Amino acid sequence: MTFSRRSFFQLSLGALLSTAGQRLLGQGVATHTARPLARSAFSGRPFHAHFVDVASAAGLHAPVIYGGVDSKKYILESTGCGCAFLDYDNDGWMDIFLLSGTRLNDAPPGTTNRLYKNNRDSTFTDVTEKAGLQAVGWASAVCIGDYNNDGFDDIFCTYFGQNRLYCNRGDGTFADVTKAAGLWNEQPRWGAGCSFLDYDRDGHLDLFVSNYLRFSFEHAPVPGQNANCNWKGIPVECGPRGLPTGRHSLYRNNGDGTFTDVSEKAGISKATESYGMTAITADLDEDGWPDIYVACDSTPSLLFINNHDGTFREEAVVRGVALSDDGAEQAGMGVGIGDYDLDGHLDLYKTHFTDDSCGLYHNDGTGNFDDVTRSARIAAETRYICWGAGMVDLDNDGYPDIFMVTGNVYPEVERKLPQYANKTPRVLFRNLGNGTFEELDDQAGLAIREVHCSRGCAFGDFDNDGDLDILIVNLNESPSLLRNDLSGNQNWLKVKLEGVKSNRSAIGARVLVRYEGKKQVQALLSQSSFYSCNDPRLHFGLGPAKVVDVDVFWPSGLHETYKRISANQLLTLREGGGPIPSKGWAAR
Amino acid sequence: MKFSGALRRLILFFGLVPALLGQRGSPDLAAVTAALGNRQFDRALELVSTALEQYPHDARLWTLQGIALSGKGRSKDALSSFRTSLKFSPDYLPAIEGAAQIEYEAGSEAAVPLLEHVLRLRPHDQTSHAMLAVIAYRHHDCHKCVRNFEQSGPLLDSQVGALQEYGSCLVRLKQLDQAIAAFQRALDSHPDNPDARYQLAAVQLQTGHADQTIETLTPALQSGLADDRAMELAASAYEAKGDTPQAVTTLRQAIVKNPRNTDLYLDFADLCVQHQSFQTGVDMINSGLSLQPKVAPLYLARGILYVQLARFDDAEADFEKADVLDPRNSFAAAALGLQAVEQHDPDQALATLRAKLAKRPNEPFLLYLQADILTQKGPDPNSPDFQMAVRSATRAVALEPRLVPAHDLLAKLYLQAGKNEQAVQQCRKALENDPKDQTALYHLIQALRKTGQKDELPELLKQLAELRRQATQQEREHNRYKLVTETSPSDEAK
Repeated sequence: MTFSRRSFFQLSLGALLSTAGQRLLGQGVATHTARPLARSAFSGRPFHAHFVDVASAAGLHAPVIYGGVDSKKYILESTGCGCAFLDYDNDGWMDIFLLSGTRLNDAPPGTTNRLYKNNRDSTFTDVTEKAGLQAVGWASAVCIGDYNNDGFDDIFCTYFGQNRLYCNRGDGTFADVTKAAGLWNEQPRWGAGCSFLDYDRDGHLDLFVSNYLRFSFEHAPVPGQNANCNWKGIPVECGPRGLPTGRHSLYRNNGDGTFTDVSEKAGISKATESYGMTAITADLDEDGWPDIYVACDSTPSLLFINNHDGTFREEAVVRGVALSDDGAEQAGMGVGIGDYDLDGHLDLYKTHFTDDSCGLYHNDGTGNFDDVTRSARIAAETRYICWGAGMVDLDNDGYPDIFMVTGNVYPEVERKLPQYANKTPRVLFRNLGNGTFEELDDQAGLAIREVHCSRGCAFGDFDNDGDLDILIVNLNESPSLLRNDLSGNQNWLKVKLEGVKSNRSAIGARVLVRYEGKKQVQALLSQSSFYSCNDPRLHFGLGPAKVVDVDVFWPSGLHETYKRISANQLLTLREGGGPIPSKGWAAR
Repeated sequence: MKFSGALRRLILFFGLVPALLGQRGSPDLAAVTAALGNRQFDRALELVSTALEQYPHDARLWTLQGIALSGKGRSKDALSSFRTSLKFSPDYLPAIEGAAQIEYEAGSEAAVPLLEHVLRLRPHDQTSHAMLAVIAYRHHDCHKCVRNFEQSGPLLDSQVGALQEYGSCLVRLKQLDQAIAAFQRALDSHPDNPDARYQLAAVQLQTGHADQTIETLTPALQSGLADDRAMELAASAYEAKGDTPQAVTTLRQAIVKNPRNTDLYLDFADLCVQHQSFQTGVDMINSGLSLQPKVAPLYLARGILYVQLARFDDAEADFEKADVLDPRNSFAAAALGLQAVEQHDPDQALATLRAKLAKRPNEPFLLYLQADILTQKGPDPNSPDFQMAVRSATRAVALEPRLVPAHDLLAKLYLQAGKNEQAVQQCRKALENDPKDQTALYHLIQALRKTGQKDELPELLKQLAELRRQATQQEREHNRYKLVTETSPSDEAK
């Protein structure tokens, strides 16, 4: 009889080398030794979207300060922040809001969140000070929504420390109403993802906030202090593993400008074992009520299904969106949402750590998902740490593509392991229309291959030319603004919604567009990508289709259908009132 | 193991029934039994020989002759006498016992029917039960072994070897508490027996009682009498209870004691992987290689550590070296194949594996890896690659039903192909072999959800959450320490 703990060969060959994708033991972040899927031969099909970084020309010069440049002592310095396209002045042109972090010691002068007003000529003006949005701190996420239904979009930002709600006064300025709204945390927390939603369908936007972890400078371990502070044998910042998990919060809008914390009553507080990051809210099971999906880092992601009675039940594991296809935790960061296979159901895309693939989850229409990462050939890419992402039709061919930004969290690692660079390129998967994707190299322009240490990104049409441009947060650099110079004759439609019985922003609405025998659904979101918020005008590439039918499922439960809508326009719809004049295009 | 009560009992039997032996028309055997009782075997043989001339068909005389011959150590002749006796009286118990004793001592299979014959005639014969138990142990029939030992009465406790065999079988039957009791009895009766101490400690560790393991091993550790094997076990126990520094110290001491014990270096490497101390592991393996530069597992282990350090070229060199040193071992070839996968070259990986499979077509691990790498290519369920992956994994589990990763892979493939019931079956087989297999549990949850069998789901979700909690706890324990490089114990041992 022999007794030995010598599982080394079995464990090691299985866990460390097996292609099945096993979790690496004992490091700060969940990753896999997931081997990349073999790349298929390039299809050879032209890609008509071509991206050029016009940030500098557009006036987006200020860097997004976030922690150390060459090394990071704490995880707080590395998670970064998001950005938003919003139309704060209701002129029909997308403005830009960029969050910022700070430094452990003195932040450079001028470090602040920034609001840029769209000059309608492809340039922007920094109006931060004038708008009253100057703020220095460790900002995380932004979500946009008209919480007081006054017709002007408001801004909510999460922070390590104290979150902030900025009420849009409608005159180009904002008021910090955090305390007055009842959103002040008595104890500082690390607010992460956030999303407005109307979970009780009373027409007022409620607010969900994920919290990443509990952090304090006094108690945080330092690089190399334990195995959670090492990566591939190199001392790095610690966490999230080894640090206490955050608790997520749901705030009910009282309809009078204040909120009440209903986390416990709604069942949100039961989820206590997760490092929550990006939060999206959408009706994933198509029952007319918004659900909440939270990408979680190194812990199972969360899917709160709406029970229609003010409560939620968490069902991510059983519904197939909590873990990898092998049942392992992943480093969930960002979330893209869209209908990649044009079956009318909202699919999810979640970004992960290096040496792991991001996850594509196919929705069967009931809120149950299949992990199709491999069959869709997304698993061919495992080289980068991935953050902001979108399932967006960049070439207007009618098939949503997948775009994501990347960047390391350990800038010091590349000095010893050059293959894990700090600055890495963007990734673009072109939808081949058959359930699979192919990764493009420089076919979409050199801006895609430029390397940065990026975090949040937002998709929107800042120049109102009928395609999707991309705003990107690059840590300790100025942001990128990728202008889409789209060629070809593909058609498109943008849909802007104005709620009446529903919340004014119509957040939570689903829009189904039928074209050329296809149907594509999109959701109006308050947050997606990574800690970011997209252009609220839903953009549908239509390919050759010139006429479409549009179904709108309003958050109130109202279902409206619009037949034979012409392509290549912004269609603005008022709930129960039909099309109304659009802003922006009319003003060109 | 010796259970030699038969001869004494036979002599006693004959000595206690002189009246029977002295009946009219029968030989007078009193003198024979008296001679046997006095161990005058030659005299007994003379008397029997004389009597046999007159009563050649008397089973008792042949039996007495067998006893006398046994006493003289002439086992073969004795067996012949007992067999002759049984020809005349097939159920003659003393002859059966005598023959069984000789066959048992010779390690012959023929003992079994004789012992079973005894038990048919005398069901509670403890010696026969004990002998049958020992034979069953030799044949790895633990159910029979345990059953017979348990009917052997005080004989079991009379021999430490019997207790150890009994305990070992209880371990195999997963009756660990009873095994601990058996090994404890063995140790109590033979406190200086290192095997008894080791076995008790090992099962205590197996049942999660690391503290008890340490307690059991401490006398040997403190006296300096513990061998490297016991020290290795103690190191495991220290690690299990979260005392990594002591685990490292003890393992280092074990390596000092026996620097050529390859397993100790592998254990140390294992510890280093657990604690993310890959370079320390490399350093220790280097020490082992300095003493034993041609031991393939050490290269394989170092290659694995190099992979963790992202030193892929060094890893590949070590895997190649391991393969050259031990071409029969499939692990190194597998690692080489996976190295090719690492470099985004599944075709090369497959070529490496298939070359190995051509020589060893029934190697389950290689078959599994072939299926795994084919799956990595992301084949459509209708494609030849997908079908080949299914066949390869199916063959792997047919050859090695305990190969859990292959069951997991098959479940994944079946889920992908929409064959959810078959996925359920594979998940259940994986879980039979490894109830802590999170992958199987997760796949089972998905497969059951898809087949609409939702009754089990709440319990399975709880199980998965509990497994995750345990894994997190374990990881937390692992992460408390990071190993640092010190002077190599094998250097110290030099």
